[in-house]
Amino acid sequence: MPTDQAELNSEQVLRRDIAWETYMTTKLITGTSLQLLRRYDKKSENDRAPLLDNDGPSYIHVFISILRDIQKEETVEYVLALIDEMLTANPKRALLFHDKSLADDDIYEPFLRLLWKGSWFIQEKSSKILTLIVSARPKQNGRTNGATDSKKKITTSDDVLKGLVEWLCIQLKKPSHPSRSIPASVNCLATLLKESVVRSSFVQADGVKLLVPLISPASTQQSIQILYETCLCVWLLSYYEPAIEYLATSRALPRLLEVVKGSTKEKVVRLIVLTFKNLLAKGSFGAQMVDLGLPQIVQSLKAQAWSDEDLLDTLNHLEEGLKDNIKKLSSFDKYKQEVLLGHLDWSPMHKDPIFWRDNITNFEENDFQYHPAGRIIVTDLKAKERVMKLMNHENAENKN
Amino acid sequence: MNDADVSKQIEQMVRFIRQEADEKANEISVSAEEEFNIEKLQLVEAEKKKIRQEYERKQKQVEVRKKIEYSMQLNASRIKVLQAQDDLVSAMKETASKDLLNVSHYKSRHLHNYEGLLRALIIQSLLRLKEPSVLLRCRKEDLHMVESVLDSAKAKYAGKERVHTPEIIIDDIHLPPAPSHDDPHALSCSGGVVLASRDGKIVIENTLDARLDVIFRGKLPEIRKLLFAQVAA
Repeated sequence: MPTDQAELNSEQVLRRDIAWETYMTTKLITGTSLQLLRRYDKKSENDRAPLLDNDGPSYIHVFISILRDIQKEETVEYVLALIDEMLTANPKRALLFHDKSLADDDIYEPFLRLLWKGSWFIQEKSSKILTLIVSARPKQNGRTNGATDSKKKITTSDDVLKGLVEWLCIQLKKPSHPSRSIPASVNCLATLLKESVVRSSFVQADGVKLLVPLISPASTQQSIQILYETCLCVWLLSYYEPAIEYLATSRALPRLLEVVKGSTKEKVVRLIVLTFKNLLAKGSFGAQMVDLGLPQIVQSLKAQAWSDEDLLDTLNHLEEGLKDNIKKLSSFDKYKQEVLLGHLDWSPMHKDPIFWRDNITNFEENDFQYHPAGRIIVTDLKAKERVMKLMNHENAENKN
Repeated sequence: MNDADVSKQIEQMVRFIRQEADEKANEISVSAEEEFNIEKLQLVEAEKKKIRQEYERKQKQVEVRKKIEYSMQLNASRIKVLQAQDDLVSAMKETASKDLLNVSHYKSRHLHNYEGLLRALIIQSLLRLKEPSVLLRCRKEDLHMVESVLDSAKAKYAGKERVHTPEIIIDDIHLPPAPSHDDPHALSCSGGVVLASRDGKIVIENTLDARLDVIFRGKLPEIRKLLFAQVAA
């Protein structure tokens, strides 16, 4: 992998020699810690694996203590690289952080703190490690564990999730690193957005619109990976009602369509099609999808030879759903167009009485046939009460 | 390409394939989890709805039962009240009836001028009947008294009506005697007379019992008013 000369990577960091003995003499680490470090440091994965299998939490404790007590950037980077290496070799090791023997340690605090200072290497590794650790936490009844110790203020998982979302949104908005910020952030989000707490704080922090610009056709291997992870985030968000409204008002849908039209990467297409499936039944998406020509795109996608069966199933499902939508909507095209236009532009058109006055004639022409049918769309658009009020108001006026 | 290059390439391919597989596995697990959540929510909502409906139904049942209970109770107490009123009124009549016996009782009839009463009853009956010939029935124990006042009664009537004195035949069949302790349910008569036209078609029951009945029935509204004026219906 080509390394930027100014760019620090794990390989380089791990070539350093850290003077652990000195730290012991200055009482920054304990004798036991030194012992464990000697056994672990500079060893191969094969040597380390049994150490971690037998006594994993102790090693975690050493790493955490160093990150907590030692400020020297070189050392911090080294330990972070060690942890990263450990987790990359076997992600299940993230569970070690939640071992009961570490209950008194604040396992989150060092990483959360390091997000906000230090080199980009430190920030990136901290965010990655923190994501893995917090995602691996044991869930009780689907609720996150909070600290019950009132004497020591231990960072709760909620704190971590909120802190991470905050940092990630900033990275997406104002990247600390010109090229690495975005890939790293999207990667973390793709893992974190599985949780409803994260979805909620992400949406509240207006994060959705930060993702949308990232939805664009990609050609290089690296950019395809970022695109895949972005689509993963969008797909995860499409399961979350409040996010759907944001997706509706952003230009997410047209962008997704552009990408899926031109993409040859199966996993990207797969995710986008799954996302469409989720959005089909919600709000005005069905109508938008028809308008933007999705049915035809689905046809051409079906014609391509994908190896994933699930993808074909989803495409068929989507085709069915779109057909139903077309049936529902085709019987009042004119009204639909106008209403959708009005709603896509949100408030102004919608509240414009002139718009409604002009269209009352349409209603009357068809003897209020649009009423019951219109109710269907309007329910889709989730503006039923407002519109009904307006319609009845206008009708009353017109009746007079 | 040397071995190192080959194995490196293989390593890369392995890593690539593994990554693709991990990503697909992740998607499958996410899909499964989300679908599970959606379905679970639907099931929970459906069950909640069922339970809510069940409880609404039960609540309605309870309310209906309460209403029925209430109206049953209301009716029952109304009936009780009416019954009590009725009993009281009946008791009054009983007492009156008993007192009435004293009028004709052989021990006290002189005090009550039973003789005069008999005469007046006969005259009244004759005035009602306006028949020249009548049949008279009385109690066996009153026979003597009746015979003694018969002529004066006839004469009084004839004078009043300016007719000939009527013929009064005393029937062999007597009215039943005064009620006795031995058989309280046997037919009895507290006194007075019964007169009838000869053909038996018109009968005037002027016994004391009959008179008590008439008065009682007639005065019943007033009696109830006096007794129960404060009681709401």
